[in-house]
Amino acid sequence: MILFKKLILFFKRESKLFYSNIVDLFSNILFFFLSVFVFVFALGTDEYLLKTIGVGVIWSLLLLSSTLNLRKFYESDFENGILTIIHMGGFSLELIVILKIFSHFIFVQIPFLISLPIAGLFFNLPMHDVYILFLTFIIGSLILSCLGSISASMNLLNRTNYSIGSIIVLLFSIPLIIFSVGINNVDNSFNSLINMLFGICLIFLGISPWASAACIKLAIRNK
Amino acid sequence: MLLVNNLSFFRNGIKIFEGKNLSLFEKQIIQIKGKNGVGKTTFIEVILNLLEPKTGEIFWEGKNIKKNIFKFYDQSTFIMDKNTSTRELTVIENINFWKGLSNSQLSDDVIILLLKTFNIGKYYNTKVMYLSSGETKKLELLRLIIEQKKLWVLDEPYNHLDEFSIGILNQTFIDHINNGGMIIFASHFNPNINNLKTLDFG
Amino acid sequence: MFKFLINPSRFNKFTDIILKPLFFITSLTLVVGLILVYFSPLDYQQGLTVKIMYVHVPSAWLSLLTYAIMTIYSIIGFVFKIPFGFIINKAIAPIGAVFTLLCLISGSMWGKPMWGTWWVWDARLTSVAILFIIYLVVIFLNQTFESRDLREKIVAIFIIIGSINLPIIKYSVDWWNTLHQPASVSKLSSPSIDLSMLQPLLVMTIAFSMIGIIIAILRIKAEILLRKKHL
Repeated sequence: MILFKKLILFFKRESKLFYSNIVDLFSNILFFFLSVFVFVFALGTDEYLLKTIGVGVIWSLLLLSSTLNLRKFYESDFENGILTIIHMGGFSLELIVILKIFSHFIFVQIPFLISLPIAGLFFNLPMHDVYILFLTFIIGSLILSCLGSISASMNLLNRTNYSIGSIIVLLFSIPLIIFSVGINNVDNSFNSLINMLFGICLIFLGISPWASAACIKLAIRNK
Repeated sequence: MLLVNNLSFFRNGIKIFEGKNLSLFEKQIIQIKGKNGVGKTTFIEVILNLLEPKTGEIFWEGKNIKKNIFKFYDQSTFIMDKNTSTRELTVIENINFWKGLSNSQLSDDVIILLLKTFNIGKYYNTKVMYLSSGETKKLELLRLIIEQKKLWVLDEPYNHLDEFSIGILNQTFIDHINNGGMIIFASHFNPNINNLKTLDFG
Repeated sequence: MFKFLINPSRFNKFTDIILKPLFFITSLTLVVGLILVYFSPLDYQQGLTVKIMYVHVPSAWLSLLTYAIMTIYSIIGFVFKIPFGFIINKAIAPIGAVFTLLCLISGSMWGKPMWGTWWVWDARLTSVAILFIIYLVVIFLNQTFESRDLREKIVAIFIIIGSINLPIIKYSVDWWNTLHQPASVSKLSSPSIDLSMLQPLLVMTIAFSMIGIIIAILRIKAEILLRKKHL
C-alpha cells in the first residue's frame, strides 16, 4: 500500500516535470517533421516512390529523433542528487530504472504517436500501412525507451564524447527496425513478426534495469 | 545506535581512508572534522552504503546494514552539499514530494510555520528556480524536519548560510538531540554546540 | 595450473618464457599453411578464387572466438571482481576488430567474382557487420571516460549486452535462407568437407590464432605496465 502510494508520487513528479518542459517534447516532434521534409525533398516528390519507402523512412526518422533527448533521462536527477534521495526513500535502483522507462514511454513516446498519421499523410501511405506503423511503434517505442535508458545511464559521467550515446541506441535498434519495417512487406507472417517484436521488447525490458542500475551505481561511485 | 568498524575505502587503487571507527548513540551528535579533500564526504557516503568499502562493517541497531538496507534508510535523512529540490517545481510541490517519499505525517500548518521561521514563507507557490542559492539551501535543510527521521546525516551543512541561519540550524540540531535523535555531519567549520563529539580526519 | 590466465604477474612470467618459441612456431605454421593452400585442389565451379576461403573462414571463426573470450572475461571481471579480465578486454578488442574487418573484406573480394556483388544484405553479413560495429564501439568507449574504474566496468556491461549478437551470427544461416551455406565443420558430426580442403583450413586457422595470441600477449603486457602507473 505504501509502495503503491510512493509509485503514484513518483509518476506525479515525472508528469509535472515533463509538462513544465512541454516545449521540449514539441521541439522533438518538430524536428521529426522537419527531417521528414528534408527526406521528401532529397528523394523527390514522386508519389509512388514515397509510398514504397514511406514506412521505412518514418521509422528511421523516429529512431533518430528519439536519440536527441537521451541525456534527459538521468542527467539532471543525477546531478542534483535527487536520484540518491529517491533511492533512500525506498526504491531500489532497478525499480527507479523501470519507472523511468515507463514514464518516458508514457510522456514522450505516446505523444509521438499523434504525429504518425500526419507523417503518413505526407508520404501518401495507405491506411493499412499507417495502422501497422501504429502497432509496431507502440511496441517499438518501449524498446527505444529501454535502449535510451541503457545509453543514458552509461553516459552519465561522459563529458567529452556526445555521439557515443546515440551510437549505442542506433546499434541495438537495428533488429527493431528490421522487424518493424519487415512486417509491412510480409503479409502472411504478421503474427510471427509481431511476436518477435514482443520478444525483443521483453528481452530489453529484462536487460535494461540490470544494465542501467549497474551503470548508475558506477556513476555514483566514481563522481 | 550506529556503529562503524574498521572502515576503509579505495578508489582506483588509491587509499582514501582506512581503519576508521565510530559509535553514535541516541541524543548524540558527532562532527567529522577535516580540511578539504581529506575524504569526509566519501566517509559519509560509505556509511550510507552509497559506496562499497574495501574492509569494515556498519551496524544500525545491532544489525549489519547490508542485510537490511531499507530499514536503515527508513530511519535516516541525508542532506548533501547539493540542492535536491527540483527547480521546475514549486516549493510546496517539492515539500509534498519529500513528505510522500518519507511517509511523514506533518500537517500543512506546521509546514507553513517552518517556512516562515526560515524566512522563505513568501515562496510557498514559487518555482524553486526563482530562489537564491541561500534560500534553496534553507529549503534543503527543511527536509530534516519534514522527513521526521531519527538519524540525520549531513555533508557540509554550514556552507552558504548566513549567520542568522547558522544560529537556527544549531538550535534545530539541539532540539533534535533533546528529542532522542542522532546527528552525524561532516564539516570543516566548527560550530558552537555543547557536547559535540568529533572524529578527526586530518 | 592455469593461474597465468587470471594473475598478471604469473601471466608475465609465463609469456616471457613462451614468447620467443611462439614466434618461431607461428612463422613455421604460417608457411606450412600457405604451402598447403597453394597445393590445395581447385573448386570445380569457382576455380582459383575458392582459396580466399582459407583466409575468410579462419578470420570469421577467430572474430567470433575473440568476442566470446571478451564476454567470458567481462563476466569474470564483473562478477568475480578479478581485474585481469578488464585488462584482457581492453587488449583484445582491436584484434577482434581486425579479424572481423579481414573477414568482411575477404568476403567481399570473394563475392565479386563469385556471386557478382561486393555486398548483399543477407543475415550473416549484416550480423557480422554489426559485430564489427560493436568492436568499434568497445574501442571508442575505452577512450571515453576519465575514471579507469568506471570505464572498464561500462565496457564490460556493454560487451555482455552485445553478446546477444553471437548466437544470431551462428544461427542466422539456419534461421534465414539466403546466401551462406549451413555449417560444414562441426564437432558432433564428421565434417562434410573433403580432407584435402580441411587440412589447409585447419592449419591456417591455427596460424591465424597464434598470430592473434602473439599480438594479444604483447598488448596485455603493455596494458599491465600501464596499470602499474594507476592510469
